[in-house]
Amino acid sequence: MLRLSWSTFRERGQLFVGALLTVCLGVALVQSSLLILLAAATGGYVEAITLLGMTLAIATFLAVFIVASTFAFTVAQRRRDLALLRLAGAGRSQVRRLLLGEAVLLGLLGTGIGVPLGLLVQRAQTALLTGLGFVPAEFAVPWRAWIVAVSAGIGTGVAVAGVLAASRRAARVRPLEALRETGAAARVMTASRWFFGVLFLGGAVALAIVSSFAGPVAAIPLSINIAITASIGLSALSPLVVPLVGRLVGPLLRGGPLGTLAAANLRDGVRRSASTAAPLLVLVALLLGLSGTLTTLGAAAEHELRQDVRADLVVTTDGPPSVAGVPGVAVASTELSLRVPLTVTTVDDGEVETDTDAAEAVAVDPADYQRTHHRTAAEGSLADLRGHSIASGEHPLGSVVDARIGDRTVPLRVVAVLPDSFAGADVLLPRALVPPAVAEHAPAHTLVRLDPGADPARVAADLGEGRVQTAEAWVARAAAQQQDTSAGIMTVIMGLAGLYTLIAVVNAVVIGAAERRREFAVARVSGLGRGQVVRAALVESWAVAAIGLFLGGLAAAGAVAGIGAAAVRSTGAWLVGVPWPLLAAVVAGACVVVGVTSVLTSLVATRPRPVSLVGAGE
Amino acid sequence: MTAPQDTGTAPRRADLPAPAVELRGASRDYGSGQARVRALDGVSIAFAAGSWTAVMGPSGSGKSTLLHCAAGLEQVSAGQVLLSGDDITTAGERELTELRRGRIGFVFQSFNLIGSLTAEQNVTLPLRLAGRRVSGKQVRQVLASVGLDDRRRHRPRELSGGQQQRVAIARAMVTRPAVLFADEPTGALDSGSARQVLRLLRGMVTSAGQTIVMVTHDPAAAAAADSVVFLSDGRIADRALAPSAREVAERLARLEA
Ligand SMILES: Nc1ncnc2c1ncn2[C@@H]1O[C@H](COP(=O)(O)OP(=O)(O)O)[C@@H](O)[C@H]1O
Ligand SMILES: [Mg+2]
Repeated sequence: MLRLSWSTFRERGQLFVGALLTVCLGVALVQSSLLILLAAATGGYVEAITLLGMTLAIATFLAVFIVASTFAFTVAQRRRDLALLRLAGAGRSQVRRLLLGEAVLLGLLGTGIGVPLGLLVQRAQTALLTGLGFVPAEFAVPWRAWIVAVSAGIGTGVAVAGVLAASRRAARVRPLEALRETGAAARVMTASRWFFGVLFLGGAVALAIVSSFAGPVAAIPLSINIAITASIGLSALSPLVVPLVGRLVGPLLRGGPLGTLAAANLRDGVRRSASTAAPLLVLVALLLGLSGTLTTLGAAAEHELRQDVRADLVVTTDGPPSVAGVPGVAVASTELSLRVPLTVTTVDDGEVETDTDAAEAVAVDPADYQRTHHRTAAEGSLADLRGHSIASGEHPLGSVVDARIGDRTVPLRVVAVLPDSFAGADVLLPRALVPPAVAEHAPAHTLVRLDPGADPARVAADLGEGRVQTAEAWVARAAAQQQDTSAGIMTVIMGLAGLYTLIAVVNAVVIGAAERRREFAVARVSGLGRGQVVRAALVESWAVAAIGLFLGGLAAAGAVAGIGAAAVRSTGAWLVGVPWPLLAAVVAGACVVVGVTSVLTSLVATRPRPVSLVGAGE
Repeated sequence: MTAPQDTGTAPRRADLPAPAVELRGASRDYGSGQARVRALDGVSIAFAAGSWTAVMGPSGSGKSTLLHCAAGLEQVSAGQVLLSGDDITTAGERELTELRRGRIGFVFQSFNLIGSLTAEQNVTLPLRLAGRRVSGKQVRQVLASVGLDDRRRHRPRELSGGQQQRVAIARAMVTRPAVLFADEPTGALDSGSARQVLRLLRGMVTSAGQTIVMVTHDPAAAAAADSVVFLSDGRIADRALAPSAREVAERLARLEA
C-alpha cells in the first residue's frame, strides 16, 4: 500500500511538493515559536511572553488549518484515482489506510525538512524581536534536543489530522466515479461543513460580544481568536458563496466566452475554488482583524487622552523637572512612569496564594493630577491618594496589594478604582512613595496649565529644561509612538506566519492548475487559443481571490467589531479603525500574487500540445 | 453456445445451472420529478455461464446502465440482480468489494489504468488489494497471455491505446473472475487493435469458458460475440444468435430509425 502511495505521489509531483511544503513550513514555524517562547519564559523576559504566546498560537493554528485544507484539497483532486482503486477491488478501509499512510509519510518527511528549517526561521524571528526592541540584543534561544520529538509529533499529527476527515470522505468515493470524466462533483456542502461552519461562526459572534464588554484589556488576543474562529466558520461555509460570485463574473465580462467559461468553471469546481480561497481568507482575516484592532485601540487611546488632558504644555524629562517658580505656570503635574510588580495575596481555605503582575504605574501628586486631568475615579476618590495608597482599575476598593517600588515592598490600600481606559496607566501611586533614587531615572512628563494671559511661547522658553511641547503635540506624539508599537506587534505576530500563509495561497493556486492539464487541453481542442485558456484561468483565480478577500474581510470585521463597540461606548465617538492602507495593499497584493501564479501555472500546464493530453486514456 | 434468455417472469427449471448473471425486471431511474429519466425499464435477461453476449443499441438506450447494474456498480431502482444465483440487489459495500476482488472484472472504453503504476503493477493491483501474494511468474504469464510480456515496466502513457486496453484486460482477468464486464472495450481503438482485443476475448471464451458481457456499438465487435441483445429506450428490443456484422448493422439501423 505504501508503495502505491509513493508511486501515486511521485506521479503527481505538484500535489506532493505542495502538501510537503505546507507541513515542513508549519513544523518550522511552530518549532521556532515554541523555542523562542520557552527561552523568553525561562530567561524572564516577561514583557515578550504574551506576544510570543500569541505568535505560537497563531503559528499552530495556521499549521493545522493550512495543512488540513491543503490535504483535503489534494484528496479531492485524486478522487478519480481513488475510485479506480475501488474499482480494482480496494475496500473502503484500504482507501483510508492508503491516505493515512501517506499522511504519516508526509508528516515524517516534513519534519525532517522542517526541523533544520525551523532553525532558520528561529533566527529570523529572533532578529525581528531584537530589532523591534521586544527583547534585548543578548537574547539567546537555546537548542533543546527534545524539540525534535515534539516537531515530529506536530508534523505527523498535523498531517494525519488534516487527512482524517478527507480520508473518510474519500473512502465513500463510488467506483463508478472512475468512469466519469469530471468526477461527479459530489455534494460539497456536507452536513459536517454546515455543522462546523455554523458552530464556529456562532462562536465568533459570541466572542465578539464578549470582546465588546471586556474592553481594551484582552482586546488583542480576543480579536485574534475571533479572526481564527470566523475564518474556520467562513471557510467551511465558503462553497455557498462560490456560486454567487460565479454568477457575478459572467455579467462583469459582459457575457464574453471567457467570462462564461470562467463562471462555469467556478460553478463546476466549487470545492477547488473554496480550497484555493481558504488560505487567503485566513490571511486577510488575521492581518486586517489584528491591524484593525490595533488601529481602533490606538484611535480610542488618543481620543481618550485628548479628552482627559487639561493642560497647555507638556514637559518631558528623565526624572522630575524643576518647574517651581517659572512665571506664568498656574499648575504643573509631574507624573513618573514606573513598572511596578503588584502582589495580591488571597487566603483560600487556609491556603495562602499570591499572584504577582507587573503593572504600568504612574506616580502623581493627587492635587496637581486632578487639576490637570478630567478623568475621575469610578469608585472612591483620587483625592485620597496619600500615604500608602493606590488607585487601580483591576483591584477592588479597600483591598490591599503589595507593591515593589525600587528595592522596597510596601503594602498599599486601594483608595480609588479607575474607570476602564484605553490610554491611561494601570495604576496611580502617590509620588511620595517613590524613593528619590528611583524617581531620578524614571521617565517623567509634566502637564502644565498656564495662568490666564500668559504667553505659551514665553513660558515654554522659561521652562527650558527637557522637551517642551504643546499638549496637543504631546498627545499626537504619544499616538504615533503607540502606532509604532502596534506595527511592531503586527510584524512579530504576523510576519513569518503571514509569509507562510502567502506561500499556502500560491501553493493552492499551483496545485489547482496543475491538476487541470487535461481540462485545459480539452478547452483548447474545442477551439480556444492558449492565451484564452490562460485568461479564463486568470479570471477564475481572481474571482476566487475575491471570495477569499471578501470572506476574510468579513472575519476581520468581526474581529474589530467587538473592540470597536467597546471604544464607541466608552468614548462616545465613532472610532472603529479601518486600516485602509493595509486593506488596499492586501487587495492589490492578493490580485498580483494570485494573478501571476495563475498565469504562470496555466502557461506551464498548457505547454504540452493539447492532443497529447486529450488522446491518451490517462 | 447458449443464447441469452429472456427469462420473463416464468420460473426457471431447477435442473438448469444458474446463469452467470441475471437481471429480473430490472429498472433504473435517474433524477427525480420532471427531470426523471428511466434508463433501464423492466429488463429481464440471463447471461449463461461460458457465453459471450454483446449488448447493442442507440446512444442513450441504457447499455452502460444495464452493464453497471449487472456488475453491482449501480443499484437498480426496482427488480433484482443475481450473480451465479446469488442475489446482489441490496449487497452492502463490503460484499460488493469482495465481488470486485474475485468474481467480476471490468474493462472500459477509457482503459482506466492508474497512470503512475507500470503495466505490471496495474495488473497485480487487484491481487495486492485482495491481500494475495503475487508471484513474478504469474504476472509474466498473465501479461504474456495478452501479448505484452515485454512491456511489463512501461507506464500506461508509454503504451498505445490497444496495448493499454490489453493491460486493462489482463488486470480484469488476473483474479480469474466469473464474469468479465466490458463497456465498449474497442470504442477508442483503431480497427487493427480492436481486432486484436476481440481475438483475445474470443480466446478466453473458447479456451477457459469465460463469461463476457460486452457493450458495444460497433457491429463488427458485436458479430464477434456468441449472441447480441439490442436495447432501445431501456428495453430489450431484439436479439440475435451469432449474427454477421451486416445483420447487426441492419438491425441497429432499424432501431435508430
Ligand atoms: N448518472 C446519470 N445521471 C442522470 N442520467 C443518466 C446518468 N447515467 C445515464 N443517464 C441517462 O440514462 C440514459 C441511458 O444512459 P446510458 O446507459 O449511459 O446509455 P448508453 O450507454 O446506451 O449510451 C441516458 O438518457 C442518460 O442520459
Ligand atoms: Mg454508454
